[in-house]
Amino acid sequence: MINFSFDGKTYQAEKGDTLAAALLRNGIGLVGRSFKYHRPRGIMTAGVEEPNALVTIGDGGRSEPNTRATDVFVYEGLVAKSQNRWPNLSFDIGSVFGLAAPVLSAGFYYKTFFGSAKRWMIYEYFIRKAAGLGNAPTKADPDHFSQRGAFCDVLVVGAGPAGLSAALEAAEAGKRVILVEQDNILCASLIRDGHDRDGAWVEATQTRIRAAGGRILTRTTASGYWEHDLVTLTQRIAEPGQIPPHGVAQRLWHVRAGQVILATGSIERPMAFAHNDRPGVMLSQAVRTYVRRFGVVPGKRVVIATNNDDAYKTAYALKAAGAEVVAVLDARPAPAGADSGLPVYNNAVPLSTNGARHCLKSVTARVNGLTQSWDADLIAVSGGFTPVVHLHMQAGGTLDWNDTAQAFVPAASRQNVTTIGGAANPEPVFNVVPVSTPKKSFIDFQNDVTLSDVDLAWAEGYRSVEHLKRYTTLGMATDQGKLSNMAALGRLAEKQGVAIPEAGLTTFRPPYTPVTMGLLAGAGAKDAGAHVRRLALYDVHAAKNPIWQPLGYWFRPRTYPMGSETLAQAAMREAKAVRSNVGMTDVSTLAKFEVSGPDAAAFLEIICATTVGKLAVGRGRYTFMLREDGFVFDDGTVWRLDENRYLLTSSTGGADRMATHISYVRQYLCPHLRVSAINVQEHYAGIAVAGPQAKATLAALIGEEPPRHMSTVPAMIAGVPVIVLAASYSGERAFEIYVEASHAGPVWAVCEAAVAKQGGALYGLEAMEFLRIEKGHLVVGGEVDGRMTPHDLALDKMLNKAGGYVGASGLSRPALFETGRRQLVGLEAIEGNIPEGAMLVTGEGASPQGHVSAAAFRILEGGSIALGQLTDGFARHGEELIATSPTRGQMARVRVVAPHFYDTAGERYRD
Amino acid sequence: MTDVTITVLPAAPLHALEIWSNAAPVAKRFKEAAGFALPAIGCSDGNDALCLIRYEPTVWLVEGDVSALPGILADDGALTAIGGSVVRVQLSGKGWRTLLMEGGVFDAESPNFASGCSAVTIIDHVNVRLHVVDDDICHAYVPLSYSEAMIHFWKTAALSLTL
Repeated sequence: MINFSFDGKTYQAEKGDTLAAALLRNGIGLVGRSFKYHRPRGIMTAGVEEPNALVTIGDGGRSEPNTRATDVFVYEGLVAKSQNRWPNLSFDIGSVFGLAAPVLSAGFYYKTFFGSAKRWMIYEYFIRKAAGLGNAPTKADPDHFSQRGAFCDVLVVGAGPAGLSAALEAAEAGKRVILVEQDNILCASLIRDGHDRDGAWVEATQTRIRAAGGRILTRTTASGYWEHDLVTLTQRIAEPGQIPPHGVAQRLWHVRAGQVILATGSIERPMAFAHNDRPGVMLSQAVRTYVRRFGVVPGKRVVIATNNDDAYKTAYALKAAGAEVVAVLDARPAPAGADSGLPVYNNAVPLSTNGARHCLKSVTARVNGLTQSWDADLIAVSGGFTPVVHLHMQAGGTLDWNDTAQAFVPAASRQNVTTIGGAANPEPVFNVVPVSTPKKSFIDFQNDVTLSDVDLAWAEGYRSVEHLKRYTTLGMATDQGKLSNMAALGRLAEKQGVAIPEAGLTTFRPPYTPVTMGLLAGAGAKDAGAHVRRLALYDVHAAKNPIWQPLGYWFRPRTYPMGSETLAQAAMREAKAVRSNVGMTDVSTLAKFEVSGPDAAAFLEIICATTVGKLAVGRGRYTFMLREDGFVFDDGTVWRLDENRYLLTSSTGGADRMATHISYVRQYLCPHLRVSAINVQEHYAGIAVAGPQAKATLAALIGEEPPRHMSTVPAMIAGVPVIVLAASYSGERAFEIYVEASHAGPVWAVCEAAVAKQGGALYGLEAMEFLRIEKGHLVVGGEVDGRMTPHDLALDKMLNKAGGYVGASGLSRPALFETGRRQLVGLEAIEGNIPEGAMLVTGEGASPQGHVSAAAFRILEGGSIALGQLTDGFARHGEELIATSPTRGQMARVRVVAPHFYDTAGERYRD
Repeated sequence: MTDVTITVLPAAPLHALEIWSNAAPVAKRFKEAAGFALPAIGCSDGNDALCLIRYEPTVWLVEGDVSALPGILADDGALTAIGGSVVRVQLSGKGWRTLLMEGGVFDAESPNFASGCSAVTIIDHVNVRLHVVDDDICHAYVPLSYSEAMIHFWKTAALSLTL
């Protein structure tokens, strides 16, 4: 026996029990409360279509609300709690909503919650309090979720007899086969129905499938069918709330199949009659499942209500299990079942039930026009069968109406998918028109939608089934209308006076059953969806306990605090070290491309908007790149390392975009050029050394005169070959040292020692930001935001006058030269500190004329400064504005100036 | 745990070889010098000294002694060092194919992906180059910055693969 608890009380289950079977085994009829009216609800089905028995499973971050009790297998220690009730399931204050049912009909929200915005604030409180069933866990999910790809020739969905046979045939024909089954055993329907094929056949068949190389996945649901026969499967490795082996709770499979065979069977339909939602009202096949598979008899005195032959099997099963079948209400007029030995009543349909919160007491029916009642604790109903066509429809297939079965069946397929078995050939049924009072005749149990709600929607003019669905909320909850759609369509068709297929059909969308969000996120659920990129020198930095900063997918040191320094204090100390002495930082993440070949310069002059061809060997140049529409999208430097070899650097954040751009230009625009452009971003680690003492520091390291500004030399540091580029982002004399990443450690160590010897410091991104703002250097994603042309950024003088670069044509558009464009400016605070991101306005209440893209303080002199974009900014130097950030309550008076606050002549980085 | 061992191989010189013109004569020169042909797309070939994996229409990943290659390429192509950007990971054991399906979109379980085959694919959002060494060994070439995360990902995934 297995111990589990429900609402704090411990019970015992048999091995293999679903929670629903275990609850029934323990005589528990009341399992939940309905969404709107808080009506007592029990277990209606034995499968994923269950609308009523929704519970919360598990504790803490592992708890899973709205889990179908019919779709969780009991394990030792399972904790289940009922939902949507207070203070307890038996006595639920919320049930007073049932008294208000007459005014809570379809469209209640639309008719009630309108008026001024202030009223809505009141409505919202109550709506939020009333919304939902279970509560989402507030703690983080401790489990992991896996995602896996798979390919096969044949994917068979559903391991009933038809699916199992199809999988065997394909596997033994040499096909790669995947067979998936949402249950934890194969061919459960054989146990339910009794069949000449038995468990031994099932066992032998799956052994043969596996022997032929087939893969069989149980507890796996085909939840979505996408383009090109891509099917997503959700596999439960652990049951809800269960501690999973190796931490992986579920797996999402992406299966690309050559062919898909759907053997998804059908779902039994309920019947609409008054109080058909009580505990004790169950579907006929579900009752049979509990009796034959789980050995649980859900009732002692049973009424069967049916419009088909299948329900008779339930009656026999119940009789064999010792229950008393007091009546078989057969809607068909012909004397079917006359020889069954059962108390069969033809032309009989249920009208209503009577009972208490926990159980059913009697059933009333109309038999040949007369009303008759039976004492009963269970009614097993079978209103026909709805083929599971969801995946067929998701694949773009169409449906045909099968009049004999009163059901839609798969018709044309748009992908390579075939439906077999019960889903293609549902059993014939007799059409039953509900005759009982529509007010308490539920058709959508999850949303408490009754026949009268459909009638009301019709009366109020809702003709389309799609409108009806949204107005009544029918088919919208976790079961997505698996039990309700056909009943609603039948009622709508009745109102329209047309056949059901003419009434229309709603759309089947993935997922077939609910999928947890963690599974969609996969392994990345713990890292915001992506792996973190580590610097080659990560361990070196980590040893210094920096404050890390995410930058794209990278994590880079933001600052290296000493003692009790705050971030701002540490960053300012580091920036001052660069301004007054020497600093060193890791610039490995910069994008880098090695461009080789006789046409390398020509290629670069297409990529870059500046001239490159005249660059001498050993020299470098600042450059920038345009999109085809003429707007700047990145900047960097280009260096001629050799006669036919160049190094192009660009921004970290734009690295992937630049790689794509270069590939595009190479493959599509310039396939004729004799050039190779290879991404070496990670091949080289980069170390920047900057400051008045940088030259002396580097000279000591390389043992020779360092290159002059915008020059490059090969050198050796710590016995490792490096490339030294003399370039400055900080505004000081500076060098970038590039070394093969696998040898970066020793080079960094030697450089750090040399900087320390000079009395310098390491600096991080925060100090780098201070330095570059003060110098007026651009950053991609800040000043370069995709809306600025070279003219807007005052870069136009550097444009290659010969043209020919990407974006040259786009840049020639007259509108890009008209007045009214945002232009790069500097801002000095007159009063207050300039808030980054603030709007620039001429006065209180005036329209924004620009914004602050980056703000900092002067490093040595102090004072708040910023870079920004301002309408016609070039002509407004000297003007006073307000930089305001109302959301933060911050404001500063600023003066518009040139965007260079430090060494405007550029003398500090030249020898 | 499935039968797969994840081992980081020592850093090695790797190069990207790109041919931009006269592909046929270059291929002929290469075969004469190396003793094997430039591998076709999706394939690798080599010997103890040199191994090439073709991963783009005009680009091969080269592992080993490249000293002869500049002469073979002449002005028809270029050789660029990329070894610092790649971590070579050896996946050995019968379970490497299953492991590569974890977070993968490439059919590593296909029997056609056999010894000598190569692929460029995405595994758990990371671009990875694969090279089947033999039935029990596959080499994965992982970007340096993602290597720590990928190796952790594979080691964690390997624990649950039999489930």
